[in-house]
Amino acid sequence: MQRSLVGLLALVLVLSVAAARCAGQDQPASPADEYKALLKEFNRASGGGPLSDEERTKFVGRVFQHRYKLAQKFVELAEKYPADPIAVDALMQAVWQVNTTPWPVELVGKDEAGPRAFEILERDHINSDRLGPVCRRLSFGFCKEYETFLRAVLENSPHREVQAAACLGLAHFLNNRLQRLDLVKEQPALAKEFADLYGKEYLLELQRRDRTAATKEAEAFFERAVELYGDVKLPDGGTVSEKAQAELFEIRRLAVGKEAPEIEGVDQDGQPLKLSDYRGKVVLLDFWSEA
Amino acid sequence: MKDKPFALVGVNIAGHDAKDLKEVVEREKLTWRSLADAGALGQGAIATRWNLTSTPTLYVIDHRGVIRHKWLGAPGEKVIDAALDKLIEEAERSGKDAPK
Repeated sequence: MQRSLVGLLALVLVLSVAAARCAGQDQPASPADEYKALLKEFNRASGGGPLSDEERTKFVGRVFQHRYKLAQKFVELAEKYPADPIAVDALMQAVWQVNTTPWPVELVGKDEAGPRAFEILERDHINSDRLGPVCRRLSFGFCKEYETFLRAVLENSPHREVQAAACLGLAHFLNNRLQRLDLVKEQPALAKEFADLYGKEYLLELQRRDRTAATKEAEAFFERAVELYGDVKLPDGGTVSEKAQAELFEIRRLAVGKEAPEIEGVDQDGQPLKLSDYRGKVVLLDFWSEA
Repeated sequence: MKDKPFALVGVNIAGHDAKDLKEVVEREKLTWRSLADAGALGQGAIATRWNLTSTPTLYVIDHRGVIRHKWLGAPGEKVIDAALDKLIEEAERSGKDAPK
């Protein structure tokens, strides 16, 4: 159930962001028209009524497979018009479908276009001032190429705001990846799914790494984001500093093995409730929302 | 679970105050206590401090107050039950061993 909801949420996000990007385009040239036609198809989703969990899963699978196929066409478009400004849009669109849930490969298929798209982006467009949104987006994924790309943008982009997005994005990516590796460790059945999706060698190599050192590395990029890009504004209204500080708090105080910070508040009957009231008992703390 | 050293504690992060939360809890027929985290959806003081990005997010805290499991998204009943059983046993053992 949760998986479906997160997946759908990701889709809605994709649709709205892509639509916003589309509205901002105003290129009468034919490469841009070709791009727009592909984008229209990318965004075309079947509507119609509430779906059961099973139907929703099937639907997600169809959308992913369809978009991975279109991703190859976006890459072809970028290769056909390498000097046209639309090439950057096409390549970013080619990697836009990030498997955040992550859905298994039998359902969603393989992202065959990704590696090539990143290769061209890094080679020809690393100086683009438009790479921020894609850096933010990749931070939710797991692919090896995402890390390589984020590091390349951080080191080579001449634009401070793009560097900021890459720095925060890379920190998030590394931290998210560690949490997913913890899940794999706890639920061995997931290991096969991850190996199928992202490559067995890559997964094994990650699992061999020292977790403490890997955590330190994620922390270091969050710290670097605070230090060098703290004032940079994020699309959701906050700053890089606020976001990075919140993540650092989570890594340092809300990780497995740490003493849970106190929570003090009132329950649904207006009665005071403190987490520490339950000391001596095992507590399942469930953050929930009916919305 | 009644006689076991265990508690399920909810934190509703939809932003209700206690009064509104009472209605939601009754509608959803929840039998356990939930904290109200008043403010905008997901932007209350508790959700902000705990850096909440999605629900459900679950933490399992042992009898000494140490975080032992953390799940972004429900991992399924089996996984939750196995984790809780193990920690409850730990809590019961430590209760017996403690000096009276």
